[in-house]
Amino acid sequence: MTTTIQTPRRSRRLPGRPAFFGSYEQEIALFNTRPKQIWVGVIILVAFGLPFLLTDPTLETLAIAFGFAIGALGLNIITGLAGQVSLGHAFFLGVGAYTAAALSGDPEGRTIGFGITNIAIWLPAAGLVAALTGVVIAPIATRLRGLYLAIVTLGLVFIGQHIFEEWSDLTGGAGVGREGARMEFFGLELTRTGEILSGDQKAYLTLLVLLLVFALAARNLARSRVGRSFAAVRDRDMAAEMMAINLPRTKTVAFAISSFYAGCSGALIYSLIGFFEPSSFNLLLSVQFIAMVLIGGAGTVSGTLMGALFISMLPTLTRQLPDYLTFISGSPTDIPNIFQLQEVLYGLLIVGFLLFEPRGLFGIWIRIRNYWKSWPFSY
Amino acid sequence: MSEPTPGPVTGAGSSPGATPVISPVTRIRDHASARPDAVALRDKHLGIWREWTWASYWEHVEAAGHAYLALGIAPGDRVAIHAENRPEWLIADMGAMAARAASVGVYPTNPAAEVGYLLADSGARVILVEDQEQLDKTLAVVEECPALAHIVYLEPRGIRGRYSHDKLMSWEEFLELGRRYREDRPQALGEVIAAQQSTDLATLIYTSGTTGPPKGAQLTLANVEFAIQILVTQGAFTDPPPGPKDLSLSYLPLAHVAERIFSTWFNAGAGTQVNFAESIETVPANLREIQPTILFGVPRIWEKQLAGIENRLSGASWLKRRVGRFWLKVADRLGHRLVETGGAPTVAARLTYAVGWVCYYRALKDRLGMRKVRYAASGAAPIAPDVLRFFMGIGVPMHEVYGMTENTAVATANRPGRVRLGTVGEVHPGTELRIDELTGEILTRHAGVFAGYWNKPDATRAALTEDGWLRTGDVGEWVEGTHLKITDRMKDIIITAGGKNISPSQIENELKASPYVREAIVLGDGRRYLSAMIGIELETVGEWAQRQRIGYSTYRDLTEKPEVVELVAGVVDEVNLRLAQVEQIKVFRLLPKELDHEDGELTATQKVKRSAIERSFHDLVDELYAGSAS
Repeated sequence: MTTTIQTPRRSRRLPGRPAFFGSYEQEIALFNTRPKQIWVGVIILVAFGLPFLLTDPTLETLAIAFGFAIGALGLNIITGLAGQVSLGHAFFLGVGAYTAAALSGDPEGRTIGFGITNIAIWLPAAGLVAALTGVVIAPIATRLRGLYLAIVTLGLVFIGQHIFEEWSDLTGGAGVGREGARMEFFGLELTRTGEILSGDQKAYLTLLVLLLVFALAARNLARSRVGRSFAAVRDRDMAAEMMAINLPRTKTVAFAISSFYAGCSGALIYSLIGFFEPSSFNLLLSVQFIAMVLIGGAGTVSGTLMGALFISMLPTLTRQLPDYLTFISGSPTDIPNIFQLQEVLYGLLIVGFLLFEPRGLFGIWIRIRNYWKSWPFSY
Repeated sequence: MSEPTPGPVTGAGSSPGATPVISPVTRIRDHASARPDAVALRDKHLGIWREWTWASYWEHVEAAGHAYLALGIAPGDRVAIHAENRPEWLIADMGAMAARAASVGVYPTNPAAEVGYLLADSGARVILVEDQEQLDKTLAVVEECPALAHIVYLEPRGIRGRYSHDKLMSWEEFLELGRRYREDRPQALGEVIAAQQSTDLATLIYTSGTTGPPKGAQLTLANVEFAIQILVTQGAFTDPPPGPKDLSLSYLPLAHVAERIFSTWFNAGAGTQVNFAESIETVPANLREIQPTILFGVPRIWEKQLAGIENRLSGASWLKRRVGRFWLKVADRLGHRLVETGGAPTVAARLTYAVGWVCYYRALKDRLGMRKVRYAASGAAPIAPDVLRFFMGIGVPMHEVYGMTENTAVATANRPGRVRLGTVGEVHPGTELRIDELTGEILTRHAGVFAGYWNKPDATRAALTEDGWLRTGDVGEWVEGTHLKITDRMKDIIITAGGKNISPSQIENELKASPYVREAIVLGDGRRYLSAMIGIELETVGEWAQRQRIGYSTYRDLTEKPEVVELVAGVVDEVNLRLAQVEQIKVFRLLPKELDHEDGELTATQKVKRSAIERSFHDLVDELYAGSAS
């Protein structure tokens, strides 16, 4: 008989008992229940199967939507998770887009270019430059909160737009623009039609893989020490400080990570679109991202993804409207036209969701899930 | 009345001293060497479950046993345990047994005066207290207990650094003492265990005492081993017998014989995994997490579960309510069928149940934490058949069992597949049970019959006949010659002024089967008619009142609402329909307060003390019989 002292230890899993938790790791696991694991697997499989089912234009729209989703994930980190309302997201998107475009641009061309077309270089670079910009701006932003922060970040958009328009060596100047980054991975062209796959199929798959990486990273961040300190700051900054959370540092980190996502998103989106000009990075773009996060459900990765896909697909839907509602015009010169309608819709959707479904699309999903989860009772 | 066929009395430990006696302690030691890494116990610590392997369990028992030796505990001494259910309870209990001392369980709800009585009466030399609250109770009475030499506390919060008492030590210090003692004399405990006799006092279990002060029933190692033989090894309850794959939830007081069987003795005897609930309030949540395979409950627990289902169902959304009503109606039919067939389902019933399982019962049982229950039992007090039938209907194999402290809970049980509702089942093979022809009292005789009450020779003489039969104090009759039906406690039988013998507990249980009724006390001894004092269930009636938009402030206020009185009157009328003329409740009053252990109205096991109630609510009683010349 041994005489070593054995203390009780964390429990092994009990089969068939999902509510049983034997360790904290199990409780905060990335996908902590079996159904979640299964459903995420199914959705990923379906997503990888789609390029062989859908037409190329749809795939292109989806690929761009994935790019927007990455940006929305970034805004979700700063606004949904850390609770800092930021209207400046468009600015960071622009920083990323121009960094990537400049790196991969033609050295002999009209605008600045370094000819590094490898995505493995320009994508991280775009993210890092944007993150660095975020860190530079953070000291101002961390001193403010709520409405004041929103105003300051609003200012950022206007300053950014001014710089982009004036710095024509980089951006091509107002009304002219320049080409987006070229997507190439160690000699493999990711957007041009090859022997097996079409350009749109390749672009879709590239963006899907990147989105998965960014989404998993965001979800993982949310459960990490950093992510939990974000949530603490969001819920009550003073209480968070009492728990020895360094407020300025936490907010700076949040800004940096969020800007990194925005930078990557900008680089990817305009690489897919192909050509862009400085006026793209306006307030409307920021509002669009806010709409994605709020409609999807602030603070959750799956909600943000739903919101981003929904908002990015909205123009595709509204473009069909003139066929059904003849008084709405498809031309931007007529009144009312679908572009006005889109802007009105963003506003209406944000207001509607905030009023009736504050937790967004994710909240609707949660309600449906809870209905079945609480079966056969209601609570 | 027909006589059962008594089997031969199997004596346990008939040759003391010749071979080492098997005891729960040696069984734990054997488990620890046979499969040291398997799970013996689980408890919840800071929100997560952690497990105690057999090796660590045994190591702790050994350390505790050595610590008792180090404190000078001699064979036959008593040590008290005053804590909620937790691994340390079992460790202290088994450690004491290893040191050949007897454990005395004290209910966590016992007030200081009762703690003092138990400590003084048992002459306990060591007490294990859980926390500051329990320590305060002991310290309040420590002067009256000269035998008490050491107080060991478990939770240091509020104690360490604040209390200084020369008898006080922490659980860590206690174990450390034992471990040091073991280093010096590694063989000490082994020798004591080897010297165990089957006549050794294993534990003193204090009976709840609805009438007088609690009496300590002495159970010897032979008694305990006999109970393990019958109930665990031979599987008198479960079929197949319990094994290491079975999980149980420990939540009822371990000071009571029933929980001791299902936790300590099942664990030691069959190696079942015991999971400790965090507290009685968290039992529903813990049940859902653990999903035990063997579940024992007292009637109050089952009644509460049933009331909870009804309550949550009426609060559910429209569709869920409809679906729920439908499947519960089906379950009721299935329950009736099962009752007719004795708990063995027919093919048609199985098919119906399979459909219901997919749509409803699986989820319902999952929510109740009974999805994996393969054996459920109710005992320790009478229960209304309706409650049992409900659980049988939704697919929880429910069995009513019967036993008492004085016969180590070995008497009768409904066997799987041979259930007779309203009875407490068949006599265990290898035990004797008869019904006295004159009084109708149930008597049992087997190796599990206790060794008498501690320091109460008169009470012992009254409980045991000269030829070794135990007078249970329960009146019963045979059903179909095989199953025993308990009429009532002998002293509770009401004889009305008309000379009719009436069993109040059956009427009370019919009333308590309603989700709105928590307590019912039927009166009428020597009176012209029966009356009842009824305590409402605050949770369900409160919810009902909210739905009816009836405002109320306190429990008392609620009981005085005419609508509530009307609600209970409906329940009483419904029960009256099923009763004979003389058994019907003619008047009732609602109790103005919730009955409480602290106020002396309930025993530690939540049984009603009739005499105390009649005393403290005598004005109510007078009201019930006002204007009647009795």
